[in-house]
Amino acid sequence: MKEMYFAGVDIGSRMTKVVIMDEAILASLVAATGPEQRKLAYKVMEEALTRAGLSFDDITYVVATGYGRINVPFADKQITEISCHARGVGYLLPTARTVIDIGGQDCKAIKLNNGRPVDFVMNDKCAAGTGRFLELMAEGLGVKLEDMGTLSLAAKNRVVISNTCTVFAEQEAVAKLSEGVPVEDLVAGLHEAIATRIYAMASRLKIEKDVAVTGGGAKNIGLVRALEAKLGYSVLIPPDPLVTGAIGAALLGRDAAQQAIKSGLPLVRSERRLQETKFFV
Amino acid sequence: MTGERKPRAHATEAAAKVPRMSRELTLRAQRAKQEGKLVAYTFIACAYDEIIRAMDIVPMWTENYAGICAAKRDAQRFLEKAEAENFSRSLCTYALCGLGFDAWRAELGEMPPDAPWGGQVKPDMMLGSGQMVCDPRNKWYQAAQHYMPDVPVYVVELPWPPYEADYDYREVQDYYIKYIVQQLSGLIGFLEKQTGKKMDWDRLSELVDLTDKTWNMIWEAYELRKAIPCPMDTGDAMNTMVPIAFMMGTQEAYDFFKDLYDELQHKIANREGVVPDEKYRLLWGGGLPAWFALNDFNYFNSKGAVFPVETTYRNVEAIYNFDVDLTRISHPLEHIAWRWLKYWTYWYDRAKKRPGSHPDVERLIQYIEDYRIDGVVMHEAFSCRTWHPGLIWQLNLLKKIYRDIPSLILESDIVDISSYSEADTRARIDAFIETLESTRRG
Amino acid sequence: MVNNLRGLAAVDKYYRDYGYRARELKRQGRKLIGYLCAYVPLEVITAAGFVPFRIKGSVSEPITRADTQMETIVCPLVRSCFDMALKGSYDFLDGLVIPHACDSICRTYDIWKYNLNLPYSHLINLPHSADDSSLEFFKAVLNTFKNSLERFAGKEISNESLAQAVRVYNQNRAKVRELYELRKSDPPLISGTEVAKTLVAVMGIPVDEGNDLLADIIREVKQRASVPAGKSARIMVVGAQIDDVALIDLIEDSGAQVVADDLCPGAREYFPLVDVTDDPIDGIAERYLRKIKCGRTYREMKASYREYLEDRFGHIGQMVKDFKVGGVVLYIYKYCDPFGFEVPAMKSYIESLGTPVLYLEDEYSMSTIARLRTRVQAFLEMMANGGGR
Repeated sequence: MKEMYFAGVDIGSRMTKVVIMDEAILASLVAATGPEQRKLAYKVMEEALTRAGLSFDDITYVVATGYGRINVPFADKQITEISCHARGVGYLLPTARTVIDIGGQDCKAIKLNNGRPVDFVMNDKCAAGTGRFLELMAEGLGVKLEDMGTLSLAAKNRVVISNTCTVFAEQEAVAKLSEGVPVEDLVAGLHEAIATRIYAMASRLKIEKDVAVTGGGAKNIGLVRALEAKLGYSVLIPPDPLVTGAIGAALLGRDAAQQAIKSGLPLVRSERRLQETKFFV
Repeated sequence: MTGERKPRAHATEAAAKVPRMSRELTLRAQRAKQEGKLVAYTFIACAYDEIIRAMDIVPMWTENYAGICAAKRDAQRFLEKAEAENFSRSLCTYALCGLGFDAWRAELGEMPPDAPWGGQVKPDMMLGSGQMVCDPRNKWYQAAQHYMPDVPVYVVELPWPPYEADYDYREVQDYYIKYIVQQLSGLIGFLEKQTGKKMDWDRLSELVDLTDKTWNMIWEAYELRKAIPCPMDTGDAMNTMVPIAFMMGTQEAYDFFKDLYDELQHKIANREGVVPDEKYRLLWGGGLPAWFALNDFNYFNSKGAVFPVETTYRNVEAIYNFDVDLTRISHPLEHIAWRWLKYWTYWYDRAKKRPGSHPDVERLIQYIEDYRIDGVVMHEAFSCRTWHPGLIWQLNLLKKIYRDIPSLILESDIVDISSYSEADTRARIDAFIETLESTRRG
Repeated sequence: MVNNLRGLAAVDKYYRDYGYRARELKRQGRKLIGYLCAYVPLEVITAAGFVPFRIKGSVSEPITRADTQMETIVCPLVRSCFDMALKGSYDFLDGLVIPHACDSICRTYDIWKYNLNLPYSHLINLPHSADDSSLEFFKAVLNTFKNSLERFAGKEISNESLAQAVRVYNQNRAKVRELYELRKSDPPLISGTEVAKTLVAVMGIPVDEGNDLLADIIREVKQRASVPAGKSARIMVVGAQIDDVALIDLIEDSGAQVVADDLCPGAREYFPLVDVTDDPIDGIAERYLRKIKCGRTYREMKASYREYLEDRFGHIGQMVKDFKVGGVVLYIYKYCDPFGFEVPAMKSYIESLGTPVLYLEDEYSMSTIARLRTRVQAFLEMMANGGGR
C-alpha cells in the first residue's frame, strides 16, 4: 500500500509550526509568523518537506489550524486549535484529561474524554494569562524573556501584583523595582499573576488530572511551577510543547484519510497546490 | 512584601469603633448558627430591618462580608471561584465574592480555608429585594440557591415612583404604598412560616419608632459636618455607614449616632478639623467606595482636601422634614412604606422648580451650597450598574444648570482590586487638586 | 411592500436600511415612539395611534459618542443603541418609552431622556416579581402609562382600541410562530439568518404591515422545494437580545443551522400571547409580566430546586425537543446582570437534558467575530465527534 504522509500547519499569532508525519514525526518546524502569513505558510511547508525528504505530491492530506488557518490555501481542511491540541495531547500524553495551552497571545483549556475534546474555554482577548504579558513585563524590567522563568524561581519574597491590566501591572512592577524590591521577587509575582488568571480560566472546566501544559508557556519553568502550586500536583509537558497543535492537525488529517478508506468515500482535497514560486525572507 | 497596607486613619472616635462592630456582625451570625437561631442572608436598604429584628432573625449581611474581604484584600480568590462557576467577572463584585464563597463552602462542606473573620455562615433563608434598588438583589440569592438548593429565598419588591416630567409622583404614590405594604406583609407571612412564630406588632412599632429617631439622629449628626473646619469626612462615613446599613432598628445604632453627634459638637467647639489646614471641601457625589483603597481618603487629606458630605450610604433624611407627618401613621408597615417612598422622592419637588433639573442633581446642589463645596468627586465602580451609570451625566447636568464646578471621576471597583491602580488614582487626585487650587486663585 | 419589494426581499431592505419605513411614516405625519426591550406593551402604544419603533444598535459601528454621556460599564447593547441615537439614526422619533427591565436599561433612562430631549418620554416601572400583588401593581403602572400616552396623544385610548391592538399583536405573534414551524424540518425551510433579519425588519414597521410581511414570507418559504436532510448540526441560540445577524451568520457559515432560539427578538418575545380579557390591561399585564420567560423577572420557587429550574428554563428544554436541537449556544453580553447571574443554573439545566452548551460572553461588536468563530467551530467539531457532553 502506498505510504501515507500527513501535514499539520499551525499558524499562531506569533509562531507558525509545521509537522509532517507518517507513523512518526518526520519533520517539525517552528518559525516566527510575522505579518505575511500566507507566504510564510508556503515557505515553512517547503522547508518541512525538504527536511522530510518529500515533495508536496507525497502528502495525502493537509490540515491547517491556529489563528491564521484561513491563510493556508493549500490546506485540505481547517480545524480549530482546540480540536488539534486535544488530538495532539491525546497522542503524546494519553493519560491527560485536561490541556492548558499557553500561547503568545492567547491561552486555552480543553477537557478531554478518551482523547476527544468535550469542553473548552479560551482567553484571547486579555493579555493577562498569555506570553504577551510576560514579554511586556520583561521589557519593562529590563530582563531577557527567556530568563524570566528561572529568575522567578530565585525569589525569596514573592510580590503580590494585584492589577491584571498590563499597563497598570507594569507601572506597579517598575515602581516597586525603583523602591528597591529585588527583581526576582517581582518576576515571581508576575508569574503568579499569570498563573492565577490561567487557573481561574481553566477552573471553569472543573480541571481533572492529568493536566498537560502546551504552548510557549510550557517552556517557562517559573510559570509551570506557579501553575503546579495552584493545582497541587505536577503537570505533564510534551517534549516539544510548541508543536502539539500541528501534530494534532496532522493526526486529524490521518483520521480523515482512514475514515475515507473505511467508508469507501473519496477523500476530498483542496484544489490548491503548493506553489513552486520562491519567496524571499 | 505582601499586599499589606496601612489602615486608614480615623478622624473620629466613632469611626474607630466601627471595625469591631463590623466584625461582630459576622461573629454574631456564627454564634446564632451555633445556638440554633435562624440566620438570614440580607441586603441593605431593603426596608426590612425592623421586621427581621422584631422576629429575632439574625442577619448575615452579605454585602458587608464582601466589603470586608475587599478591605482585607482577600476577595480575589472568591471572585475567581465565582468565575470558575461561569459567572462573568463583570457582575456585581459583592455578589461574585458572595457566590464564590458560597460555592466553595458548599463544595468543601465547611468554611473555605482562612475565611476572613471565620467566614459567612450558611443561612436558613435568603431575603432578596427587588425593583428599584438593584438587579443583584433579586438575582444574587437566586443564583446562590444553585449551591444551597435547600435554602429558601424570598424576594420583597420595594419600588419608588420614577421622576417624570408629565406627572407628579403624588398621583401614583397611593398604589405604590399599597403595593409596598402588601409586599412587606408577604415577607412577614414568609418569616412567620419559617420561624413558626407570629409577628409581635407592638415590638415592630417600637422598632419603627426607634428607626425614625435614629434617622433623625444620623441626619442631625451629619449636618454638623457643615462646620468649617469640617470635623468628620467621608473616609469616616464609610465606616459609620455600618450602623446605618447593618444595625438599623437597634438601640446600639441610635446610641452610636448620639455619641457621634456629641463628639462632633465637641470638635466644632474646639475648631478641630479632619485636617489642620483645610483648603478644599469636596462632595463625594456618587459611587460606592473602593473598599480596598479607603486610605485614598487620607491621601486627599494629605493635600488639604476633606469631604464634609457624601451621597453614598447617607440613606436617611430627617423624618420631620418630610411633607407627610409620619408620626400620624401608626400602622408599622404603612409607616415603613411612607418613609421609604418619601426618602426616595425627597428631592423631586425641588427638581420641578428648576428648569431642566433632576432630583439627583438637586441633591448635589443642596450639599454644595450647605457644605460650602469646592469640587465634586465621583467613583465609577465597574461592576455596579445601579449606582454608577449616570455619574457622568449628573456632572454634566450640574455644570449646565448650576455652575461649572471642578469635578473628578475615579475609576476602579467596590471589591475587585485588579481594576485599581494606586499610581493612576493618585495621579488623577493630584491633577484634580491642582485644578481646585487654580480655581481658588482664579 | 417597499419599493415593490415583497417578502424576504423587503426584509433585506428593512434590515439594511433600518428605519427606512419609519422615516416614510414620519413624512406622512405619523408619530413614532422609540422603545427598548420586549417589556414595553406595544399594544398600548399602537392603540394610542402611535407607531412603536424598536431602537437597535449596530455591531459594526464603534461606540464613539455615547461614552461622553454614558458610562462604559453599561450593557454594550444599550450603549450601542444610545450611540446610534446620538448619531442621529433615530432622529424621527417623537417619544421614548423605557421599561424597567434591568439596571442597564432603567438606570440609563435619565441619560437618554436628557440627551435626546424628545417631546415625550416615559419609564414603565415594571416590578421584578410576578406574584399577585406585583401583577396588580403592574396594572396600575400600565394605567399610568396609558394616561401619560393619552395626554401626549390628546385623546383617550378606548378599551376597544386596546382590544383591537391585542388582536392584531396576537396575530403577529401567531404568524411568527407559524414561521418558526418551518424551521422544524431537517433541513429547515428557512435559515436562521433569514428569520433573524425578518424579526429585525418587523421591529421597525407598524404591526399590521408586519403581519402582511410575515404572511408573504410564509407563503414564499412554503413554496421552496424541500431539500434532502443534511448532516449539519441543529443549533439553538439562547441569550438576551440579538438584533443583528452577525452571530447567526457565523454559526450558519460554519456549516450548522440555527433552527431555534430563546431570544429577543425571537421565540421568547413572540411565542406568549395576550389573553383576551374584559379590561385589556389585565391580559396585557399578565402576558408581559408572567408569560414572557426572561431572567429579569423573578420567579418564585414553588417546589423542589429541580422543578424550579424546570419552571424557569423548561421552555428551552421543550424547544430543544420540538426543534430537534443538537447543541445550544448560550450567548450573553458582558455587563448583563439578568442573564449573567443565570448562566450556571441555565447551563446545568440544558446539559442535564443531554444537550451540549457553548457559553459565549461577548461585547456587542463585530470586532470579536474572529474569536467567536473559533469557539463556534470548535464547538461544532466537538459535537461532530460526539463530544461536548
